[in-house]
Amino acid sequence: MLRVDHIWAKRGAAVALRNVSLSLSAGKTLAVVGESGAGKSTLIASILGLLRPSAGAITWDHQPVSSCRPALVMQEPRSAFNPVWPLMRAVREPVLGQEQSVTNERIARLCRGLELPMELLERRPREVSVGQVQRVGILRALIAAPPLILFDEPLSALDAVTQKHTARLIADMQQEEGFAALIVTHDLGYALAFADSIAVLKDGQIESISDPGSFVTNPGSSYCQALRDAAVALGSIEVAA
Amino acid sequence: MMLTVVGFLVRAMVVLTGTALLTFALLWNAPGDPAQAIAIARFNAVPTQDVIDQVRAEAGLNASFWAAFLNWIGPLLLFDFGNSSVTGRPVGPDLWVAATYSFPLAITALAIGLAISLPLAILATRRPGGFMDRFAVAIASLGTAIPAFWLGLLLILLFAVQLAWLPAMGARTPTHAVLPALTLGLGIAASLTRIIRSGILEAWEQPFLAAFRHRGVSDRAIGRDHIGPHAAVPVVTVFGLELAFLLEGVVVVEVIFGRPGLGSFLTSAILARDFPHVQAVVLLTALVFVVVNLIIDVVYRVLDPRIGEPDA
Amino acid sequence: MRSVAVIGAAILLFVVFGPLLATHDPSTINIPKRLSPPGDEFFLGTDALGRDILSRILHGARWSLGLAFLISLIGLCVGTLIGLLAALGGKLADWVVMRTTDTFLSFPELVAAVVIAGLMGAGTWSLIFALSVTSWMRYARVARGIGLSLQSRGYVIQARLAGMSPLYIARWHYLPSLLPSLTVVWTGMFARAILGISSLGFLGFGVQPPMPEWGTMLLDARVHMRSTPLQMIWPGLAVVVSVLAINLAGDALRDALAKTERAK
Repeated sequence: MLRVDHIWAKRGAAVALRNVSLSLSAGKTLAVVGESGAGKSTLIASILGLLRPSAGAITWDHQPVSSCRPALVMQEPRSAFNPVWPLMRAVREPVLGQEQSVTNERIARLCRGLELPMELLERRPREVSVGQVQRVGILRALIAAPPLILFDEPLSALDAVTQKHTARLIADMQQEEGFAALIVTHDLGYALAFADSIAVLKDGQIESISDPGSFVTNPGSSYCQALRDAAVALGSIEVAA
Repeated sequence: MMLTVVGFLVRAMVVLTGTALLTFALLWNAPGDPAQAIAIARFNAVPTQDVIDQVRAEAGLNASFWAAFLNWIGPLLLFDFGNSSVTGRPVGPDLWVAATYSFPLAITALAIGLAISLPLAILATRRPGGFMDRFAVAIASLGTAIPAFWLGLLLILLFAVQLAWLPAMGARTPTHAVLPALTLGLGIAASLTRIIRSGILEAWEQPFLAAFRHRGVSDRAIGRDHIGPHAAVPVVTVFGLELAFLLEGVVVVEVIFGRPGLGSFLTSAILARDFPHVQAVVLLTALVFVVVNLIIDVVYRVLDPRIGEPDA
Repeated sequence: MRSVAVIGAAILLFVVFGPLLATHDPSTINIPKRLSPPGDEFFLGTDALGRDILSRILHGARWSLGLAFLISLIGLCVGTLIGLLAALGGKLADWVVMRTTDTFLSFPELVAAVVIAGLMGAGTWSLIFALSVTSWMRYARVARGIGLSLQSRGYVIQARLAGMSPLYIARWHYLPSLLPSLTVVWTGMFARAILGISSLGFLGFGVQPPMPEWGTMLLDARVHMRSTPLQMIWPGLAVVVSVLAINLAGDALRDALAKTERAK
């Protein structure tokens, strides 16, 4: 279980996270929703250990998070891959020392699950569509079977149709592999449709944490209400009267 | 602002201390017996072992490395460079005399370089790709490829040997300085022309200038108000690098033209193993470098206020 | 990239096969024929000891160009390693490396090389050492700068998350991105090394006679400027042509890189 315990973090001189606490059980999905600048990227960097919080603790099963080798799916699919490498080489990076045949088998299985043709992995990131690169990114995140995967705006670089497809595939893979997913997104509709619980982040602080059902019926703070109403107006969610 | 000034000074101190330490370590570990070299230079004869030992004691070469280093650096903080181990005279006044030959030469050369490169670059950029532009680029490329010592020799060959217009060796009259200053100045002109030219061209590429021209602002006004300041930034930067070129050039040119100055001071000190002299020249050079770079940094911030802001 | 390859190949061919074109032994002394003008027997004339100047220039390429190549390569390797250390080694390593680089840069390279070579005792090894010690800083700066900018690239973060060691990341992710810029710096430093070697040779601190290094040849020729001025032209011309060719190749390479950069 992921436990984020009262963390404070700075980006440069500015305070980016104030007293943030979260928890995420194994196999579950937590969506962190907020606008740009709310501190979402700082939260991800802190959980992954890329940034040291100035106060507070982050653990996975009472150990430092790095002990579970969490994986990350990035917002910009192409930049997550070395531009001069075939995708296959990057996919193998997390399992470099392991048995080749086992890895090959796993790649083949994950490719089927993610609806990726194997030949695609021989190409370079620039020669493949963004949607496909993002699925390769998910494949790489899954390859070492980590218990925790972070998704940083996994859909925002994709077009609407691909977004739906990719969201569906992430959910399917989670069913199959059983990882815990922390999804950072500004898309409330996506969060409501796929997450077990929703945390709203605003100006570096947690505004509310609730399950999707109670979020829609009873958003709580005025900010959360505005967020819900905007999503309703756009038609991305429906509220039973 | 206070903080940046303090930061500068700390950095300058680190650099100067580092230079002093490196030089001292180099001198300390130089192969051969320095005491013997000094004794030979001082008495102009092959010395006996007694004499060498005596020199060693006098020059403080018996002490340990750190003791000797502190012994040297302590008085240095009061601008006392010690005494020459060859002549026994204080280093300071001799160094000052050498500097009075070298610095005017360097400044004259810089003036010559600017006087040639600025008009050339402005003419060249009137019509980029035109004849003048190609000419300027070709001259500049050629100029940066010619070693200073060879250029000096060619100028001597032409103006002193063949035409006999100018004197070549020594520094008795101001005319003796013409060829050395020209040698250095031409070298500087070559690299400055390149930099100023690309600075101006880059300045013209700023997108808003097209709009200005479209609105009928004259080229002259744009040049004065926008191109000049914009092109000045890289030019100022390069001045720091030119300084290195100048100091190198001074050493070489003084040797070619048989002029007294820091270059001759340094080379004869090295050959005689006169450690206090070598150390003095090295530190003076580093000091000049640090000070000029400090000034450049300040000018830089004045020209382009964005530099030095966080996240810029 | 092609222009650099062509220049590199041309210089390599010249260094390897140039001496084979020499008509005379470069160090055979022939006093009766001393200071002869250019002619059939001695294409560019002879020097004060009657040695064939053309043969000396051809053999001198091994010293002037070969040594410059070696020195610039040493600087490239050392500087890149130091720069990567600064970029990957954390804040303290970065501070130490950058202040050291500042210290080395705060001094005109040639003057430093004169001091080092002079104190170590004139000779080829001290020349190589002196010019290498003063030539790594630019590479280090470039390597560090690009290295720091790569730190936030997605694929570098992914490699770190995958548990790759800094050494692996430096070798496989940083180095390939550094190479183009480092090659541009290298062409400039190669040209500088040629100038440095000949300058030190001319000042008497470089390759020692009777080796036919171009700067050393000029030192010899200078004495006879009045009687045989042409003797002083040829070695200098050899330096200028080599430096010019390398600089032009470097310019072409930089332009080509800028173009691909923009195309991205």
